[in-house]
This record gives sequence, structure tokens and C-alpha cells, in this order.
Amino acid sequence: MSSIIAREHGTDMAALRRKLAGRSGRHYWRSLEELADSDDFQRLLEEEFPRLAPLWEGRVSRRGLLGLMAASLALGGLTGCKPQPEERIAPYTRRPEDLLPGRARWYASTLPLDGYARGVLVKTFQGRPVKVEGNPEHPASLGATDSIAQAEILGLYDPDRSQTIRYQGTAGSDAAFLEQLQAQRRHWAAGERRLCLLTGPLTSPSQHALIERLKRLYPSTRWYRHEPLANGAAHQGTRQLFGEPREARYRLDRARVILDLDADMLGSGPAKLVHARHAMGRRRPDREDALLNRLYSVESTPSITGASSDHRLPLAAAEVPALAAALAARLGVPGMADQAENSPVDPAWLDALADDLRRAGAEAVVIPGDTQPAALHALAHAINHHLGAAGTSVEYSAPVAPAADGDLADLSRAMGEDRVDALLMLNVNPVYNAPAGLAFEERLARVPFSVHCGQYRDETGRAALWHLPAAHPLESWDDARAFDGTVSLMQPTIVPLFGGYTAQQVLAAFAGRYRADPRELVREHWRQALPGADFERHWHSALQRGWIDGTALPTSLPTLRNTPPPPPPTDRDGLLLQWRADPALHDGHYANNGWLQELPRPLTQLTWDGAALISPALAEREGLSEGQRVRLTLAGRSLDTPVWIQPGQPARAITLFLGQGRRDAGRVGNGVGVNAYRLMPDHGAFAAGGVTLEVLGDRAALASTQQHHNMAGRDLLRETDLAHFQEEPGFAQPDRVEEPISLYPEWDYPDHAWGMSIDLNSCIGCNACITACQAENNIPIVGPEEVRRGREMHWIRVDRYYAGPLDDPSMHFQPVPCMHCEKAPCEYVCPVEATQHSSEGLNEMIYNRCVGTRYCSQNCPYKVRRFNWYHYTEATAELATPAAAHNPDVTVRSRGVMEKCTYCVQRINQAETDARNEDRPLEDGELRTACQQVCPSEAIEFGDLNDRHSAVSRAKASPLNYAMLEELNTRPRTTYLAGVRNPNPAIQALETREAPA
Amino acid sequence: MNRRRDELAPPGLGAGALTDRVSATVLGTRPPRAWWLALGLATLLSLLFLVGVVYVLSVGVGAFGLNIPVAWGFPIINTIWWIGIAHAGTLISAVLWLTRQDWRASISRSAEAMAMFAIVLAGSYPLLHLGRPQFAYFLLPYPNLMDLWPQWRSPLVWDFFAIASYLLFTASFLFLSLLPDLASLRDRARHRAVQRFYGVLALGWRNSARHWHRYQQAHRVLAVIAVPIVVSVTGTISLDLAVSIVPGFHFTIFPPYFVAGALYSGFATVAIIAIVLRALFGFRDLITRAHLNRLGIMMLCFVLVVDYAYLQEVFTAFYTGEDFYRSVYYDRWTGPYAPFYWGMILCNVVLAQGLWFRRLRESVPGLLCLAVIAEIGMWLERFQIVITSTHKDYMPSAWDTVTPSAWDWLTYAGSIGVFVVLLLLFIKLMPAISMHDMREMLHRRKQREADHG
Repeated sequence: MSSIIAREHGTDMAALRRKLAGRSGRHYWRSLEELADSDDFQRLLEEEFPRLAPLWEGRVSRRGLLGLMAASLALGGLTGCKPQPEERIAPYTRRPEDLLPGRARWYASTLPLDGYARGVLVKTFQGRPVKVEGNPEHPASLGATDSIAQAEILGLYDPDRSQTIRYQGTAGSDAAFLEQLQAQRRHWAAGERRLCLLTGPLTSPSQHALIERLKRLYPSTRWYRHEPLANGAAHQGTRQLFGEPREARYRLDRARVILDLDADMLGSGPAKLVHARHAMGRRRPDREDALLNRLYSVESTPSITGASSDHRLPLAAAEVPALAAALAARLGVPGMADQAENSPVDPAWLDALADDLRRAGAEAVVIPGDTQPAALHALAHAINHHLGAAGTSVEYSAPVAPAADGDLADLSRAMGEDRVDALLMLNVNPVYNAPAGLAFEERLARVPFSVHCGQYRDETGRAALWHLPAAHPLESWDDARAFDGTVSLMQPTIVPLFGGYTAQQVLAAFAGRYRADPRELVREHWRQALPGADFERHWHSALQRGWIDGTALPTSLPTLRNTPPPPPPTDRDGLLLQWRADPALHDGHYANNGWLQELPRPLTQLTWDGAALISPALAEREGLSEGQRVRLTLAGRSLDTPVWIQPGQPARAITLFLGQGRRDAGRVGNGVGVNAYRLMPDHGAFAAGGVTLEVLGDRAALASTQQHHNMAGRDLLRETDLAHFQEEPGFAQPDRVEEPISLYPEWDYPDHAWGMSIDLNSCIGCNACITACQAENNIPIVGPEEVRRGREMHWIRVDRYYAGPLDDPSMHFQPVPCMHCEKAPCEYVCPVEATQHSSEGLNEMIYNRCVGTRYCSQNCPYKVRRFNWYHYTEATAELATPAAAHNPDVTVRSRGVMEKCTYCVQRINQAETDARNEDRPLEDGELRTACQQVCPSEAIEFGDLNDRHSAVSRAKASPLNYAMLEELNTRPRTTYLAGVRNPNPAIQALETREAPA
Repeated sequence: MNRRRDELAPPGLGAGALTDRVSATVLGTRPPRAWWLALGLATLLSLLFLVGVVYVLSVGVGAFGLNIPVAWGFPIINTIWWIGIAHAGTLISAVLWLTRQDWRASISRSAEAMAMFAIVLAGSYPLLHLGRPQFAYFLLPYPNLMDLWPQWRSPLVWDFFAIASYLLFTASFLFLSLLPDLASLRDRARHRAVQRFYGVLALGWRNSARHWHRYQQAHRVLAVIAVPIVVSVTGTISLDLAVSIVPGFHFTIFPPYFVAGALYSGFATVAIIAIVLRALFGFRDLITRAHLNRLGIMMLCFVLVVDYAYLQEVFTAFYTGEDFYRSVYYDRWTGPYAPFYWGMILCNVVLAQGLWFRRLRESVPGLLCLAVIAEIGMWLERFQIVITSTHKDYMPSAWDTVTPSAWDWLTYAGSIGVFVVLLLLFIKLMPAISMHDMREMLHRRKQREADHG
């Protein structure tokens, strides 16, 4: 092999020597080509034998094939020739204490999102992280996680992550980098040149301390913060009202009436998991101690919060402040009296809402959205204050994230004026996500010394002079604050796979401490920050728990300094463009994560390529259908995107999702969707008027996992309102048969009989269960083409149905895993008995036995079975999950085999074995399925139906319990608790009055 | 009465002359140019089948247009379609023989060959359908260390046995009825090699009375066995669908309905082959318009049963009062696959009524058109049963459609090519008309003429 390449391209020996000289320690290299890191070598490495498979597609030319064959032969020969050193290796006889091969170990750690910590427990096998669960003790997790945290495992093993230092695009060495850095530092220290830092929304105390240190070392240093998904309106609004920026913390466990003003409190923000737990915990009418709350949502883009609310009002983003002002006027907030008549919605609706809020008083809360302007935040908190909610259902603390010297716009201005001589960009990607008006990429080229540190060599990594690979959070020592300020510690569960650096290491290097130990950098900070003699013990217990006790920021009742400003004037017609974070890809950082790309987005059920959401009214006016491409033009810039008709979207609002359209995300994320950041206004508003829409001729094929959106009049999902429930508690069980009969004999379960109950009152449709299941059960990614063909592999799906008018329907979620039927239609039709009933009631798949007739799926009325149409798990498959990310307890399925939800049988077996070894009965709650464990609102109960006192047995005894398609006599073990909403009777009366018209 | 029977063969045709003529097609002259042309085209088509099979086996069944609500597609449709075609062969050679229908004599051979090849194709599709065809033997009750047997409650196991026994039966029946003719060919062959070839195949048939006696006995036994097989094979296949709980599959009327449909398409295929044979080898006097007329009548009988079943199915769906069954029908009538449903109605209900007209039945282009329409109609019927039933069943959230892929069409078209190649080779290597059956028929005619004076 070496000869081929050497002949064709020659090897630059001088360059190699330079490279070797720049290295310290023992660096192994296999050949000159590897050392040179030439593209040819990279290609050969990637296209070694398994890569011959794509020959079917005819992608390899004859010449290329011959070359490859020759290379493979040469390589095969060479490996055979290599002399084997005589070495003695020792067998593994004395294992470390408590380390059992095949047994998982758990470590508490932290995963940051937008800088805010979410406490997690990381499951590792022999030092290999395979699964993330929420940390039940952590205040921001309470045991749950979201899809993004679940998908971090796949991100960790992503082969597209940056693996080398790069200088001007070619491989560099850390010695060369440090040499240049050393030279720069002298200029900074002398004040000749100015260093600027650009970070994401970081809350890490140790990183912040290092930044402060840099500023002390080089006084001209400026620190800029870039938050692609927020614009500081929350702090600005509270400053207007209270005189100082405050961070609101909502106590939804104390709230009886909740008004969400375009905040999507259940689906976004650092406290979403806590909100979901608390808000949905008070929606269980069948419990004796039920204290029901009532949720109102005013939202500019349909979200899971609106879908879970009792009343949802679609309203374009720009009109929300006016609604809040009109509401404030009705409630008698000082200074708002003249706004009462300015309501953008039916005044009667607003009156009813105001009455409800007033009645709830201190138990009411108004939550403003982060994408809304400061004026709305000021208004909302003024209302909270006026209602007496401040201090009970909403608390205020100092801002969790420390204040920076400016934002991206400030930095961009400084760069344009050549006031930035050196720029460190730490875990940010402004070249991708800066608004086009800032011309960031062009201005970056004017910065003489630019350094990017990130997990991927992304758009910014390619534009910067130097690129340093960053360590993944699961590989790092770090810290971050949770939404309430609690300091959470991040400890690595694996050594950096690709030799990445932590943020502290990079900052320390800039401060002159080269090659510092990342652990020490974090420890040192806390050794100083934590008072008390017994640091070691304190530190150790904090690491064990995952967070430092008593670090939550104190709350106080702020005094009202000003009246809220009047809402900014808005015109009420014309198209309005709105931006929202993609529910799965977030700000775009996760674009190369196949689990997240393939996650059906809540409500649209779209995977992969996104689309602009338009209202049915707009679609009707412009004659648009789903998937049709349009050109959106705003302030001279335009973007071509397909559209998606979203019921419940405000008529004039068009929503674009941020996070798509990556150019350099990696093999998975490149070119998926369009980059909506390009159209954003420079000042960071998340809505803008004056947009024009032009219909283009062509269509895009979008990959949605659900084609039909109404229930066709079937009673699959049962729901009613509170009044009806109180009148007729058994409404969900209209024709329940106590003792159904069957031709086949009954099963006998002497030990356990597993069952599941899913509470439709609690489910918020966040889809975290889908990703958790994917991570737990080694479910492959199939790609957009296969999703379009209806071949997605998720074992649990969350069905979404609409009911009512197209412009403002009610929205309902129903998670559907395998029902594990007692009389399973799939079992009797399998010709080879590859799907069978277990002695504990599970309906099991025997992959080895399956020949792939697919009869079971045909006969499954719930259509929960998934088939391996191709070899999705093959190592050479385009989107194959790296083998290291697989759960070793679960079989990886091959081509031609049926699969489906197993109730996490590996967890059942593990728990049973543990109980047996310890000679004790299995306790209820000890065993949880992946979907149950991840659920932020505890909608899923799983357990033993033989145990009458188990949580699942109690749930099934509820009058709300019903089985889907009961009339087929399949007798599902997964049953549902029917939904009961708690609407405001006054508003209900309004709706019925309007209905006939 | 006399006049019509006469039409089955030219008057005055003697046994010797008949044997000469028929065996000449095998031993004598070079095959007509049309035969070569047809063989060439069909070989090209069957190469497509080969390409399709190799591709599907290499990459997986994902190559077919299938997905999760619709996990069964072309392979199942084509299995049912081909097995249906096979049925008429058995019916003609066995049931019509038992009922002493003279007109079966000249077409029974080609019908049997047709049945044979159709079963081979019908049997190959289930293998293509499987996700892991290399483990198809799991369906066999073979002894193994784990004591695993097939699951007898599954209709797919019944299906496997039905197709396998049908294949065995048809092969033995075809070979048995060939024996006397093979001996005739052996005796008439000029070349040593050809004599050897037919001699070995003829298994030492010497035309002795004892041989004839045993032949008659064996033939009768097989013919009697054939009757339940004809009814049960397609009936069993229909149970694959009917035993499930899928609305659109789950109908008790399916077994008889499928048998009638199978025979309808089978007689249509016999008609096509008969017309081609007439044209290719100039057998216009041996396969006469009277034959075509009778084939048409058979088609008419069975299509009427099929039409009744359509009606009955709709009635059942609405009579159950179940929303699921009704909506399957609304969907078939108005949904994305409605053209297939209405195409089926057009072919099998509307155009098939042309079979009432004797003029059309006796006209070569007329019957050919009606037969092709029947094939298309029956294929559409299977398509709409298999595809439309699960694409919109119980859970609206799971509803989805499939689009047949290029590989679906390729293997379908290719399998027709394979069928034609096999048939063309057969009629060149074996007598396309059963000589001994014809001689028997001529003999009986002569006797009757003598009886009537």
C-alpha cells in the first residue's frame, strides 16, 4: 500500500520530520502515510475490506477497485510479516473490587444543555458508557432526562468527531500550537494585542473563574457570550421591573392555574423536566388526593405544552405581549389600565382567564417565553407580583449564568473594526448559527489568531486558524449549574476517545498552564471555593451524588421598582416569521446524531429534513400542500424550504426550526434541512414581520412517521373533561367484559405477570421514551429514505391525534409500545414459533428462530412490530450505530428478522437474578423499563400484576383504566388511563356558544 | 349433438396420422421462427427474474415495496396468482377426465405442463418473501436436538405442506400421463441419442395390455386424489389471510372464493396457451373453436362465483356492523388503491360478461382478450386483498401506503418470462398434445359412429 501512494503523491519527508519533532511522549504511527495523514491514507483506512460492499452501488471505478485490491493484498501481506514481540501478558485473575465483568456500574455525572446542568447517572460496562439515566436526586432531573441526554451516548462514539488538532485545515500538533500560543501570550500580556473569548451560555463556576483569571492576566481581554436560542430578554425584562436582573424559578407543584405565554415550559428551557414532573403530577383525577391544576397556553407555534393544556390559544408571537397587557389590565396591574381594550383575542376568553387567575391568586403563575421580548417578561412578572404568586409559585434568584462583556453582535462589531487580535471560540459554532447580517465568517477571516475548540471540526472549526478537538461531556471533568444554581459535577466515564481537551484545559493553556490535568483544574477551583477543612470527603461525596449540596442560589422576593412598560406596538396582519429551536437537534449541535435526526418531532412527527410550519389558513390561501417548497424572503435574504401544514398554527405565523442545514456537521447531519439562522435579524429577535412567501414549483419528500392525524372515529384514545368524569367515572370502560372467553387455554403465571399502564393524563408527548428505548435496545437508525417508506424501527411510538377545528384543534398523545397481549394474535400465526408467550406473560421474540414471514406484523392490530428490511446494523451500513454504543445485554438484530418492544426483558432478568442471588422477593419499583425511567412526567407504570399492591396493579384498578381495541379479545397487558382535562367552564361555555356558528 | 362433437377433431383423422402429426412437432422439422422469437424474448424476461432474485437475496427484502402496515406484498400476491393458474391444469386433466369430457383430450397436456411450471413459480415466491430464506427449512418438521417443530396453528405451515404436496402430485401426474407418448417418441426417433433420451424417460413402456391396465389404474387413483387437492390447496392459501384478524382478510367465504378465482384465472391461461399452440404448430383442427368455446364456458362459470363472492364480501363487511370492516371497503372504493379495486371490478365483473357470448368465446382474438383480462383482473384482485387490507387497519396512526418498487415489477415480469421459457421448451421437447388421449378419443368417436350406424 505504501508504495502505491508514495509513487502517486510522493511523501514529504521534511513535513513528516517536522511533525514528529512537534510531538512529545510516545506517539505510535503505523506508516509514513498515516503520519502524513494524507487524504489517500484516510480514504484507504475508511475503505478497507468491508467498504468493498458498496460495489453493488457501483460507486467504485474499475481503476479504484484494482488499486484497492492491490492495496488490500499488500496490507494483508504486511501484517503477516510483522514480527511479533515476545511479551508476557498476565491473565485477569485479580479483578478490581466490585468490578464484575458483565455487570454495569453507575456513575453520577452531568450533561449540560445551553450551559445548564442536568444531573445524570451513566451506566458503564467495563469502562464503556452505554446508557444515560436521570439522577433522581438531582434537582433538575428528578430521575428523568430528555431525548438529547439519551442521545449523548451516540454522540460520544460518533466517528465524525474531531480527532486531531488542525492548523489551517491540515493536521497540527499541540507543540506547534503551544509555541504559537506562547508567542501570542506575550503580546496579550504586554497589552499590544487583544484577546477575545466567545463561549456558549456557560454556567460553570470553574470555567468562569478561569475566564476571570485570563482577564486579570491580560487586562484587555473581553468575554462574549453567544446564546443561539436566547437573547437575554428574561433578564432584561426583570431588570426593567425589579431594577436588577432576576432569574425566575417556577414552582409548578404549588401552582393551581398556570398560564404559559409562548414559553413551552414542558418542552424547552433548563427546568422543563421539573416542570413536567410538577405540572403533570397534578393532573391525576382518579387519585384520592387529587389537587388538579389548570393549564392555559398561548402559543405562537404548537408545542407539547399547548397540546397538554386545558386551553390552548394560537396567537402569533408578536401579539403575545398585547394579550399579556390586556390581561394585566383586567387584573388591575398598575399602569396597564389603557391596555384593556387592546386585546388581540376574544375579550370574553381573556375575562374568563383573568377571573381564573384572580381566583387562584398566589397559586397562579404566568410564565413568559424566552423567545419573547423583554416587555413580555416584565408584564408577566408584574402579573405574578400582582397576583401574589411571587414567592409561592414563582421564586426569584440572581441570574444563574454570570454576565459576560457582550454578545455575538458586539463581538462581530469589534471584529469588523479590527479590534480583535485573537479569538478563542469555546464550544460554539457562530459561523453556522450567527445571523447572516453579522457577516461573522467574513469578519473571522480578519482575526489574525483564531482558535476554535469543539467536539466537531464544524463550520467554525474549518474557518478558524486553529482547531482543537474538545472532549465530550462524558469524557470530561467539568462543572455546571442547574436551573436553580445547584452546582453539578461532571466526571469522565471514559478517557477521551479522540484525545479531546476540556474547556478548562484550553482556558488554562491560554493562561499559561500547558497540558494541565483536567481533573486538577476542576478540583483546584472547588478546593478554594468550598470552605471547610474536610475537602476530600466533601468532594468525594459530591462526586458520588453528582452535585454539591447547598449550592442552589438563594431566592428572595424582589421589590417592584417600576411599572411594566407598555407592549411594543405591532401590526396585526401580514406574515410573521418565527424561529424556534428544533425539538431534537436543539441549536444544531446535535445535527450529526442519528438518533435525534430520526426522532419524530413532537406534533409534526417529522424526522430528518425539517420544514417551515404554516397554518392551514395560509396553506389554503396560497394553495400549498405538505412538502411543497417555498421561498421566504426577509430583509433581502431568502431561504428555500418545504412547508408543513400544522393544525393549530396561528394563521399569519410561519415557524422555522433552528438547528438544521448544517454544512459541516458530519456524515449524518450534513445537508439535512436548511439553515434558518441565515434569516434571523441581527439583534436576535425570534420573530420578524415583513416576510414574503413565494411558492416554488417543486416539492420535497418529507419523512413523517405518521400519515393520518385523526382517529377516524375510533376510541383508541379516550378522554373527557372533569365534569363528565365526575358524573360518570367509568366513562372509559363502556363495555368492559369481566371474564372474556377464548378458544385457547388460559395461561398460568406462578411467579410474575408483568404489565404496564400508561397515563394519558401525564404524557406530555416529549418523545424522550423513544430515544431511551433506542439507546437501551440497540435500535438501528434507518435514514430518511427508509422512514419515508414507512420503515422506522422505533419500538415505542407516540401517536398524536388532532380533534376539533383545523385552525385550533385539541391535540392528544398516546405512547404505543408492544401491548404484550394475553391472547396475542402474533403468536399463533408464526409458522416457526419465533414469537411466544413467556411464563411471565411477556410476548417474546426469538430472533434466532425468526425466518421473516412477517405474518406476526400483519396480524398485529396495534402495528407495533418492526422488521429489519435491510441489514441496518451491519458495520458498513451507512448509518450503523458504532458497536461501542450498543447495550451488551441486548441482541443486535440482523437482516430479515422481526423485532419489537420486549418490556426491557434484559432489565427484568437482571432484577430477577439480583433478587434471587440476594434471596429476597423482587420489590415493586425496583425494576423499571427504559421508557418508564426516562419519563419526566411519570406517565408509565410497570410492574407485577400478580402483586395486588404494585403501582401498576393500582393503576389498572383505576376507573380510568382501559385497553385499546379491547373488542378484539387480545387482552393487552399494556393498558391506558384515560385522559381527563380540566377546562374552565366559562371558556367551555364560550366555545359551545361559538360552535354552531 | 353429433355435429358439435365432431368439431373436436377433423373427421376421418386416424390414430396413425394423428401420432405422426404430433410427434413431428417434436422429432421432425425445425421449430417455427415464431417459436425462436418467443423463446428469445422470454429468455430475456427470465434473465430479469434472475437479476431480481439475485439482487433481493443479496440486499434483503427491503428491495420490495413493503413497510410496516403492509408487510406482505408482491411475493404473496404472485404466489396466490400463480397457484391459481396451476389449478385449471389439474382440473382439466383429472376432474374432466373423471367426468369423461372428450374435449379435454387435446388440451390436457399443455394444461398439465402449465400447472407444473406455475407451481414451481408459486413455490419460489414464498422463498423470496422470507426475510431469511436460508432458514426456510425451519418450516419443516425435521428432527433436531432442540425438539423444535413448526407451529401447527399457523396457516403458513399448512400452506407449505399444501404447496409441496401439490407440486409432488402435479409432477407425478404429468409424468405418468407422458409415459405412453414418450414411448411413441422413442419408437419414432431416428437418432440414437434421441431414442436413448426418450427411451430412458419412457421407463420401458412397451404398450402392452398390462402396462395399459396399470396406467389406467394409476391414472384413475391420481385423478381421484386430484379433486380434493384442487379444492384444498388454494383453500389453504386463502386461510393464510382468513385465519388472521385483519379486516379485509378475515372472511369465512375465502376458501371457496379463492378456488373459484384460481380456476377462473387457470382456465384463462389454458385458453391463452391453446390459442398460442394453434397458431404456433398449426393445430387449428385439433384444438378447435369448440375447445375455445368450452374453455370460455368454464371461465364464465367460475367468474360468476367470483362475482358472487365480491358481493358477499361487501355484504358481510357491512352486515357485521364493525367499523373496521366497513372502512376497509370505503378505503378500497375511494382510497389510494381505488384504481386497483375498480380495475378489478372492470375486468372481473364488467368485461368478463363478454363470456356470455358464444361468438366471442369462439373467436380467437375475442377469447384471447377475455383471457388476458381475466389474468389482469385476478392479479388486481389479489393485489387489493393483500395490500389494501393492512394499509388501513385498526390504528389510524400506523396507516401508511406502499409503492411497489422496480424490483417488485421486475421479478413479477421476469417470472412470466420463466414460465413462458419453460412452457416453450416443454412443447418442443414433449408432445404438446397428448397423443394417447387423442387416440382414445378418436377411437371412442369411431365406436360411437359405428354404434349409431
